[in-house]
Amino acid sequence: MSRLTFHNTTLHLILALLTGLGLGLAYSWFISPVTYVDANPAILRADFKDQYRVVISASYASTQDLARARARLELLGDPDPAGELSAQAQRMLAAGQTFEKARSLAQLANDLKQGFASIPSTTAPFTNIINTPEINAPQPATETHVEETVVTPLTTSFEQTPLIPVSAVINTPHPTASATPIPTPGAPFTLVGQDTVCDSGLQAGLLQFILMDARRRQVAGIEIIVTWSQGEDRFFTGFKPELGNGFADFVMQANIIYNVRVVEGGAFVPNISAPSCTDPNGVKYSGGLLLTFQQP
Amino acid sequence: MTSSNLIKIAIAISIGIALGLIYGWVIDPIDYTDVPPNILREDYRVDYVLMVAEAFQNDHNPETAARHLASLGSEPPATITTSALEYANRNGFTQNEILAFQNLLTAMQMVQPPGINNP
Repeated sequence: MSRLTFHNTTLHLILALLTGLGLGLAYSWFISPVTYVDANPAILRADFKDQYRVVISASYASTQDLARARARLELLGDPDPAGELSAQAQRMLAAGQTFEKARSLAQLANDLKQGFASIPSTTAPFTNIINTPEINAPQPATETHVEETVVTPLTTSFEQTPLIPVSAVINTPHPTASATPIPTPGAPFTLVGQDTVCDSGLQAGLLQFILMDARRRQVAGIEIIVTWSQGEDRFFTGFKPELGNGFADFVMQANIIYNVRVVEGGAFVPNISAPSCTDPNGVKYSGGLLLTFQQP
Repeated sequence: MTSSNLIKIAIAISIGIALGLIYGWVIDPIDYTDVPPNILREDYRVDYVLMVAEAFQNDHNPETAARHLASLGSEPPATITTSALEYANRNGFTQNEILAFQNLLTAMQMVQPPGINNP
């Protein structure tokens, strides 16, 4: 009898403990969860991250401070910041936004890929000091403060823990004479090459474009219009900087005739279609085309 | 059930609640993702405002700047910029950065906050 009572009491205690545990978890997870303050940009909602990138690239367009833009992008925690910028620029264009709005994103992506600012800053108002917070640094010692030149602070009582030696010099490489090519105004692009690409590793029907200026440098930001009997697509060069500033591509469907027009200068290439290729085993597949345009 | 047992059960419940709270608040608190920018840490907020100020130096478009600042909360853009400027003054931002904040503040003071109509 006493043994039965002991078991009964133990069972009650265990049930009571579990009940208390459940109540505690319910309170801490649902009724009064940890209130989150002092968030970092990496956990922002996707649309806010998009806006953050837009602001970073707009700021970069003003300052041409690539190191700082890179540091800011790192705060977002993207595994491939340049690729994410390119993808966002393409999403913006696909959503019908103007090229002007997407241009700064594409420019920053391009500069991140090549490793230097393609348009060197002339006034350099913000290039001397990096004051961008680091992702895990405690506040207020979150500033990365790197000075190239001595700047007189407005407040002398400022206390700061430099995370990088103050004397460190930023050796941001600058191009000598290789700024992003800008097309010669008014000069038309003409088709200088139309090559069939039979590569089973590429997407079937891939129509690739390369646009170059008169000095054979690839040119970004040129609008291309592809039309077919039931539709039209518009896109720009330069949104896949890893493949070249003047590169763009489009996927053709089999047995459809396309017309291509380069808006700048009005080059027109009619009757384009996916060529038929044969692999070493004799199997036929849709190949691709490479159209090369150049300004005279 | 004796009063002694009742006390034991009450103690067990209390211990359970304490363990639950420790687990839910400390060991495995709710993991936040997809947060809005209004809970960004202050230095990140200020850096965001600085970016807007730098962009404004280039495009001189107060509407765009105000729209970007609006994502930081419901406060008027001028208030957000003022807070950022005060932080910048306290933390030794460069003169160029302070100037950018001041230019943005001047522009934001001219921007009509949404929802306020002219008489």
